[in-house]
Amino acid sequence: MKVLVQLSWFFKQQKKQYLFGIAMLVFVSLLQLLPPKIIGIIVDDIAAGSLTAEGLTKWLVILAVAGILMYIARYYWRVMIFGSAVLLSKIMREKLFNHFTRMSPSFYQKRRVGDLMAHATNDIGAVQQTAGMGILTLVDSISTGGFVILTMAITINWKLTLIALIPLPFMIFLTSYYGKLLRKRFRFAQEAFSNLNDKTQESISGIKVIKTFGQKNEDIEDFTSLSTDVVSKNMRVAKVDALFDPTITGIFAISYILSFYFGTKLIIAGDMSIGDMVAFSTYLGLLVWPMLAFGFLFNIVERGNASYSRITELLSVAPEIKDVAGAIDRRPEGDLHFNIDEFKFPGDERAALHNVYFTLKRGETMGVVGKTGSGKTAILKLLLREFEGYKGSIVYGDKPINQYKQQRLRESIGYVPQDHFLFSTTLAENIAFTNPRIGTEKIHEAARLAHIHDDILGFTEGYGTIVGERGVSLSGGQKQRISIARALIMEPELLLLDDSLSAVDAKTEEAILQSLKQTRTGETTIITSHRLSALQHAHKIIVLHEGTIVEAGTHEELLEKNGRYKEMYDLQQLEVLVEQGGEE
Amino acid sequence: MSAEKHPKLTAKDQWVVLKRLLQYIIPHKKSVIIALVLLVLTVAGSIVGPLIIQRFIDNHLSTMSFQKSAITNIAIVYIGIQVFMVFVSYFQLIRFQDIALKIIQQMRIDVFSKVQGLGMRYFDKTPAGSIVSRVTNDTEAIKEMFVSVIVTFLQAIFVIIGVYIALFSLDAKLAFISLLLLPLFLAVIVVYRRYSADFYQDIRERLSQLNAKIAESLSGMGMIQAFRQEDRLEAEFDDINEKHFRAGMRNIKFDSILLGPAIDLLYAGAIVFILGYFGFLSLASPVEVGILYVFTTLIGRLFQPVQQVMQRLSIFQQAMVAASRVFKLMDDPDMEPEQLDSNQSEILSGKIEFRDVSFSYDGQADVLKNISFTANAGETVALVGHTGSGKSSIINLLMRFYEYERGGIYIDDVSLKEYPKEELRKKTGLVLQDPFLFYGDIESNIRLHDKKMTSEEVRTAAEFVRANEFIEKLPDKYAQKVTERGSTFSSGQRQLVAFARTIATNPKILVLDEATANIDTETEVAIQSSLEKMRKGRTTIAIAHRLSTIQDAELILVLHKGEIVERGTHQELLMQKGLYHKMYLLQNNILEDVI
Repeated sequence: MKVLVQLSWFFKQQKKQYLFGIAMLVFVSLLQLLPPKIIGIIVDDIAAGSLTAEGLTKWLVILAVAGILMYIARYYWRVMIFGSAVLLSKIMREKLFNHFTRMSPSFYQKRRVGDLMAHATNDIGAVQQTAGMGILTLVDSISTGGFVILTMAITINWKLTLIALIPLPFMIFLTSYYGKLLRKRFRFAQEAFSNLNDKTQESISGIKVIKTFGQKNEDIEDFTSLSTDVVSKNMRVAKVDALFDPTITGIFAISYILSFYFGTKLIIAGDMSIGDMVAFSTYLGLLVWPMLAFGFLFNIVERGNASYSRITELLSVAPEIKDVAGAIDRRPEGDLHFNIDEFKFPGDERAALHNVYFTLKRGETMGVVGKTGSGKTAILKLLLREFEGYKGSIVYGDKPINQYKQQRLRESIGYVPQDHFLFSTTLAENIAFTNPRIGTEKIHEAARLAHIHDDILGFTEGYGTIVGERGVSLSGGQKQRISIARALIMEPELLLLDDSLSAVDAKTEEAILQSLKQTRTGETTIITSHRLSALQHAHKIIVLHEGTIVEAGTHEELLEKNGRYKEMYDLQQLEVLVEQGGEE
Repeated sequence: MSAEKHPKLTAKDQWVVLKRLLQYIIPHKKSVIIALVLLVLTVAGSIVGPLIIQRFIDNHLSTMSFQKSAITNIAIVYIGIQVFMVFVSYFQLIRFQDIALKIIQQMRIDVFSKVQGLGMRYFDKTPAGSIVSRVTNDTEAIKEMFVSVIVTFLQAIFVIIGVYIALFSLDAKLAFISLLLLPLFLAVIVVYRRYSADFYQDIRERLSQLNAKIAESLSGMGMIQAFRQEDRLEAEFDDINEKHFRAGMRNIKFDSILLGPAIDLLYAGAIVFILGYFGFLSLASPVEVGILYVFTTLIGRLFQPVQQVMQRLSIFQQAMVAASRVFKLMDDPDMEPEQLDSNQSEILSGKIEFRDVSFSYDGQADVLKNISFTANAGETVALVGHTGSGKSSIINLLMRFYEYERGGIYIDDVSLKEYPKEELRKKTGLVLQDPFLFYGDIESNIRLHDKKMTSEEVRTAAEFVRANEFIEKLPDKYAQKVTERGSTFSSGQRQLVAFARTIATNPKILVLDEATANIDTETEVAIQSSLEKMRKGRTTIAIAHRLSTIQDAELILVLHKGEIVERGTHQELLMQKGLYHKMYLLQNNILEDVI
């Protein structure tokens, strides 16, 4: 029940709705008592022959009015209680989403998208259940259950009531137990299903390999055995699920038998009428739902507890990178002084960067060279202030970057990441990501600079082409060039290209770099690349190895140094060099 | 997660789909009959119970006659029926589940097999996610129909029939009047169905939009933050969230008006009517109160199944839409190219010849124009050219991923179309540019599904291509886990595993699509030397992105816009000073600055 206390902020906020909804629920519980009683009275009157037309009409009118009132009350409690629950899920989802947008990259490094999605869907769903079904079952099992039992005991016979109630606690216990078991087995069934899903996904992605090796039948066999697992796991669920109905019927049958057996004795003794007996058995039927509800209640609240605490835990994670007090509200510009003594990614033993020092004058282009894992990307991530906690300083213009407001710092930086992520919307909107209201001409201009304009015109929908699953599938090179256009459209003071041309052919790469050089005259650019050809025009190249600068200089200077750069260069060009010599 | 458009189905379409779905029941005829019998028994039991109580009230309670034997009989019958019911209803529920699950399994296997037989053309035009949805999610939606809808519908019908039989046997006149309930039920169901379909559709689409938005924002959070679009995304999300909320509220209101409360109201009306009928009847002539009891009880039994049917209408609707999508996939004619089953030709030496081959993916623009070349047994032919020049198309035709109509492709002077599929698969080995690793371990990725291959053979293959060098450094060596398409391995390492996989089958013909991106220099050395070894004694068709890797090829074809514009050996082509020479210079551009 802890979760109901934790949700009290919401119940307070929705006080009117909940109070009104609960009042309606209780009202329905009371009205429900009328029909069996009236049936009983009429039966007795008929049996005794004392029924009159006026009396009958009176009862029937009362019944009809009760029916209509119940309809209205039932409508309102649903809208009030279930409606509030939907509102809660909306509020929680919004909170969570806004929280997600404030989280630093290290947060996403530690968690998988799938898990975060699960919080946003399953956990919120469970909390919604608690605020809706949870309240309903709580109120209904107490009010309907209580009223019915009281009515049976007070207006008919309290001894008989006690006897008839004997089997019911077993039902509460059993259905609640089944519920728990069901959830556990359901999880296994879900797992089996998701295995099947993964298998299908994999087979389709690897369809060429399967076709090449002629392993269609073997793969179908594999699929069949996984789908058999799905069947058996689901059967295990079904075996528990199928227990509910027979259990309820069985236990109520015992109740009926007990009440008729002892009821008959009471009738023979003259302590009870036949009408009472009929009313009693109808009341007994009314107890099915509150008893079930009582069993459900525990499961709903238990799930709600777990889910709510998972959500609050997530919401309590503070963003690792915050604006300092009195942060500068001005976009940085000017020279860049990068002085890092040491930096480790959170949770890493090894330093990603150590003793990396360089200065980049405004308007200069710098190349960063090195193997995967040498620290190229780490430099860019620090410049973006995605990570902190380094020893040293990064000064942009006249102030360290952590003195600026984060938002203002990012205004100055255009970033093209290694893993080009595009959104599933139109190409135009992807390029105009930083400013959806920017003019078409600007979009085309950026696309032309990134040498993707012609490709885009080649699609049937042009700039209106949708990207992703539901739209056109782009080649890696096209995606990279769109990412570049997206960064260029903001005309950033500092452009960071993180190996962004790897999937583009050499000719296009050269052309893109040329147009960057021509248009970005007064602005700073940092390019990391595997391909050395991308960097030869840079004002300065640094060579990274195991997180530190081992060489620096211009392309020509580095070649003359005869060091690691030359070695990498030679390895890339070894065969070519030999051939060139042969030709000359 | 994908928010696909749901096709609108007409009643006729639905009927066609339903008929086809029901055919899946045929193999389970026996089981279905047993389940139906159990269902009838369950329904009968639930109706006989109140009837016995009615007898007891009218014959014994009202008359105060309690002979021991008669009472014991009634008690025994009642208890017996209840106990019997507990078991019957349990087995009936399980039996239907079992049938439904097996039907869906069969359907899944059918769809999956169909997918496996589709041509690459289909995979080009259909996103992988939506194919996966057909195989798993859509069939899951159909499962819900078999599990809950059909049984509920049948049960409702049986209950209605059973209740009315009982009512007619008790009081034909009142039973006849009670038949009026049926059109009322029907009216509520029809009205409900009419509107609920749209409402449910709406809320489902809103939900999938909502989830898609969250998922995408989470994946692209780095970009959102780097470009300072948090506020905009939040606003967009709030908008979707708000719309989803409104749809949810509308649904609750709609259900409250027409579903639960409405059914309860109808029930109240029915009770008023029955009481009035018997009440006024009793004023004129005596009435057995037991009958009154049983009427109110049995009429009550009608309402629950009707409500359940209404609740499940949306599942039915969803299942129909899902099934129509699944059947559309099953009927797709884009199958992989067929082989002529004429003879049992065998590939002996592996000479490959393209004669005047032209090809188009879409039937409009030719991506290959009059391609002719010969690769003699054991020779290497290299394909060079820009993206989109047609290199991959040549490989796609040779691998029979696509059917060609113009020109001919011959292996050992026999048309490619005349070899049995198994022979082609056995004798040709393809290494893809982005080698695909499956979930499992290294060994299973080399062996694939070939159960006859020994671990020894797996190791020999790995050693041959020098993949063993990195494999043996892994903590679990050949048993090292491969997850999520091998993302824990570098692309060079994946390439080496793919080499080993291909070499293990010892093909006569080798088809290579050289890996381009991000291969570190150390792996690259291993890859180059393995390639050389692999090519020995095998006819090789290789796509080369780095001209340096194919200088020893017997024939280099330079492709441009689907045509072979130059051909010859490396030296010859350099001397021609044509496109190849230009490409070569471009790759060496940096170098000329230096020297």
